Amino acid sequence: MTDRIRNFCIVAHIDHGKSTLADRLLQLTDTIADRDMMEQVLDSMDLEREKGVTIKASAVRMMYTARDGLNYELNLIDTPGHVDFGYEVSRALEACEGAILVVDASQGVEAQTLANLYLALEADLEIIPVINKIDLTSARPDEVAEEIESLLGVAAEEIIQISAKEGLNVEEILEAVIEKVPPPLINNEAPLRALIFDSHYDAYKGVVAYIRLVEGKISPEDQMHLMASGAVFKPVEVGVFMPHLQPVDQLEAGEVGYVATGLKTVRECRVGDTLTSAIEPAAKALPGYLKAKPMVFAGIYPVEGEDYGNLKDALEKLQLNDASLVYQLETSQALNFGYRCGFLGMFHMEIIQERLEREYDLDIIVTTPSVEYEVVLNDGGVKRIDSPAELPSEGDILEIREPWMRIEIFTPTEFYGTVMELVKKRRGIFVEQDYPTPNRVQLIFELPLAELIIDFFDQLKSRTRGYASLDYHFIEYRSDDLVKLEILVNNESVDALAMIIHRDNAYRKGQALISKLKDLIPRQLFAVPIQAYASGRVISRANVKALRKDVLAKCYGGDVSRKRKLLEKQKKGKKRMKMVGNVEIPQEAFFAVLRLEGD
Amino acid sequence: MKSHSVYLHIPFCRHLCSYCDFNTYAGLEEHIPAYIQALCTEIEFVAEYCEQQIPVHTIFIGGGTPSILPVREFGKIFQTISRVFDIQEHVEITIEANPGRLSYGYLKSLRDLGINRLSLGMQSAIPEELRLLDRQHDNYRTEKAVNDARRAGFGNINLDLIFGIPDQTPLSWQMTMDLALSLNPDHFSLYSLSIEPGTPLNDWLGEGLISEPDSDIAAEMYELAEARLHEHGYQQYEISNWARKGDGLGLMSCQHNLQYWRNLPYLGFGAGAHGYAGENRTVNVSRPDRYIEKLLSSEVDSSQNDISYPSTPATTRVTVISQAEEIKETMMMGLRLTGEGISRREFHSRFGTSLEEVYGGEIEELLGLGLLEWDQVTSERLRLTPKGRLLGNQVFQRFI
Ligand SMILES: Nc1nc2c(ncn2[C@@H]2O[C@H](COP(=O)(O)OP(=O)(O)OP(=O)(O)O)[C@@H](O)[C@H]2O)c(=O)[nH]1
Ligand code: SF4
Ligand SMILES: [Mg+2]
Repeated sequence: MTDRIRNFCIVAHIDHGKSTLADRLLQLTDTIADRDMMEQVLDSMDLEREKGVTIKASAVRMMYTARDGLNYELNLIDTPGHVDFGYEVSRALEACEGAILVVDASQGVEAQTLANLYLALEADLEIIPVINKIDLTSARPDEVAEEIESLLGVAAEEIIQISAKEGLNVEEILEAVIEKVPPPLINNEAPLRALIFDSHYDAYKGVVAYIRLVEGKISPEDQMHLMASGAVFKPVEVGVFMPHLQPVDQLEAGEVGYVATGLKTVRECRVGDTLTSAIEPAAKALPGYLKAKPMVFAGIYPVEGEDYGNLKDALEKLQLNDASLVYQLETSQALNFGYRCGFLGMFHMEIIQERLEREYDLDIIVTTPSVEYEVVLNDGGVKRIDSPAELPSEGDILEIREPWMRIEIFTPTEFYGTVMELVKKRRGIFVEQDYPTPNRVQLIFELPLAELIIDFFDQLKSRTRGYASLDYHFIEYRSDDLVKLEILVNNESVDALAMIIHRDNAYRKGQALISKLKDLIPRQLFAVPIQAYASGRVISRANVKALRKDVLAKCYGGDVSRKRKLLEKQKKGKKRMKMVGNVEIPQEAFFAVLRLEGD
Repeated sequence: MKSHSVYLHIPFCRHLCSYCDFNTYAGLEEHIPAYIQALCTEIEFVAEYCEQQIPVHTIFIGGGTPSILPVREFGKIFQTISRVFDIQEHVEITIEANPGRLSYGYLKSLRDLGINRLSLGMQSAIPEELRLLDRQHDNYRTEKAVNDARRAGFGNINLDLIFGIPDQTPLSWQMTMDLALSLNPDHFSLYSLSIEPGTPLNDWLGEGLISEPDSDIAAEMYELAEARLHEHGYQQYEISNWARKGDGLGLMSCQHNLQYWRNLPYLGFGAGAHGYAGENRTVNVSRPDRYIEKLLSSEVDSSQNDISYPSTPATTRVTVISQAEEIKETMMMGLRLTGEGISRREFHSRFGTSLEEVYGGEIEELLGLGLLEWDQVTSERLRLTPKGRLLGNQVFQRFI
């Protein structure tokens, strides 16, 4: 029976149509009835639907009768394409033997096409390349096929060309999966070993662990044991993704499914842990996952101090559903108690922020993001800091080192000049270039991560009318002439607004930041001086003028309710600001540095 | 029974001003007779709720442009009102009017019907500003209206003025104030222009044809007006309202609006009118044609028992105001009264709990911020400081 199982995922650059293809596969296999169908049905989170972007990988089981007349169990995982979610993809790959690599017929191979392809190759997966969106008038499937041929060595004619949107040729993919993707290598007789590749928290069922069974079997009656955390439990439920959670009596080696553990403390069940039987435990845990390496750090603080406990709880639960999130306690002079969080990128940070606000109904402030620095002290010691507030005083510092990245940009050749200019402005170094097709260029640079996180991607997109794509990897720490830029609000330094920047940029950035803050900090009942300060001197200053007039006029015809609503709305807006000293600072002020135009 | 106020809404204008977002319509004048009939029906409907006649001490006819109505329509309204309500001896009856088309004869007839207070929409004395606001009158018309009204026997005249108009300067505002003062009205209402969505002014702003009024300059204008009016013997009693002393030395403040600010009961009749009585806030359907339909269609049955006082067949929304809400609204409205503010004693007798008990922290904070003060003589009344008058929202917010 297990030779009738195929575990595969769909990987691609962002927006190349993975989730739309998944829709068609779900329909083709009657997994979802037409009346329950909606576009990108696997993107079930509100945020995913709103942004039209997959954030979480989702698994689903499909039953399919192939042309050979046999019934197959297909376990599909749809993955996100955004560069920040590579970790999500790499975990999904561990649960599969094959990957469908989708390439957009009009855009061709892009940065994350390569990045995700390499991840899949590293995981030893069988790759099935597919060209999508051939219905577009701008489609150039044959050129793209050649691109793929030179990349993978698969003959261009053999690459399946589809339109996921119109359902064209989609069945070919399932046949190719059955033919090319090997069934899982399994051993039902060995003691149970299952890898937890994802999870979420359910108020009734406790932690729900998503698992790939490597060896052995699971039934809901079995007493289970988590090898790393040591937790022992009897599951509330065992099941598969249809894509809703569907309880089953048994899961076998090679299959993908879930175990509702009933565990209430999040700590006891972590992604990467190995699930085994408590009665007949396996001797050795599975290798698990490498920890995700956060790139960007920021403090998250509750707007109201008393929400601190709720924030802690929310982060714990969220981490269960997002294994790449890391956090630890932090105190700020300005903002009191909160958490220093590590993210895989700026988009990831934005998603976490929004999920905390929506799913946990919290009012939070996220501080100015930073990268992690290495500070070499005069006494020879080295200190790693991920918050400018922790920077020792200038006199004690021998040098500051910052992370450098190797970045890869794919762009139509016409934008060559403007991309070069942007990189240069951001202290980048040109490394090499390549022309995968005559009118596209692949540019390789080295760039400080600190420059990359500040609006680089948006700038790149706007300079190339959305055509450029970007991938990056850490290379090393390098020292440079960096200084701390402090921001004083109402004559007090606000640690959460500080940042570390290159000395040459200190003046310009300080000025730009102050003029931006002046607009972003709402007028208070008194005038608020704001200053930027670096290396012992004030670089720029401005005043947020005192609020003079804020009063509603006429209550017309006795319409008290309208007046009250306006006031309530105003009051609510205020609740979303953080009191720093006696000044109300809105979230946007902490992100002002990300929006210094003309950079 | 507590004495009530009555508001009558006349949702018709000949022409719509560029800043107007009131519930009013141009070109529907042919519906006026039916509308007035519906209005009288609605008045009767409410009166029937009560065993005894409801005492009424103020009536306010607002709009829209009430002065668009022929005199006979007022006749019908007053016939109904005086039949069903217990009209108090010193009743204040206000009518809003635009200076554009008033005649002595018309004003005289209104006066003879018992209307004793006239509120004129002067808005500005500067031709460019009147043009921008798309008003249909000029200074000559305003002056004439005031003189005619005096001659017709109106002893209580209000002028409405607007400040914070795009491109208005403190100097032009001063000129408007001077001209208005020279007309010797008994009362002033000064409104800061707010540009509302859906108005032509808002479109022009979006298209970049006009510039956003600067709120600091508006603040300056407000303070300028405060000083001017004070010099001329007008006394401020509400954030936007000033009155002079009458013959009996009492302030000639608008009794009708005081009813709102004191959060006391009023009945609202007409399209889009609001009412507040017996713990209920009501809102009527906005469009005049729907209003007429709801009241005059045959299936209206005055014995309908699924609706509560003071709602009528024209009511589209009823909100029950709990005591907690009533407290909030009393604060929010009462603190607009710059003289009387909120009285400790009245608060206690109305709500059975003390002001400090409910709002001790908020009051402390606002006193500290210099936005509120206790009156100096008895420390009995809590009210806005001069600074607080321009920052009212910062104060009211803390009470809701
Ligand atoms: N014309 C056309 N549009 C398509 C096709 N497939 C997908 N799209 C559109 O491309 C956009 C992105 O599709 P998704 O399925 O969300 O792409 P994705 O790869 O899952 O995106 P991420 O998960 O965010 O990386 C949507 O607007 C789809 O409607 C296709 O075959 N033809
Ligand atoms: S006259 Fe008054 S109600 Fe009529 S449009 Fe002008 S502002 Fe609006
Ligand atoms: Mg997707």
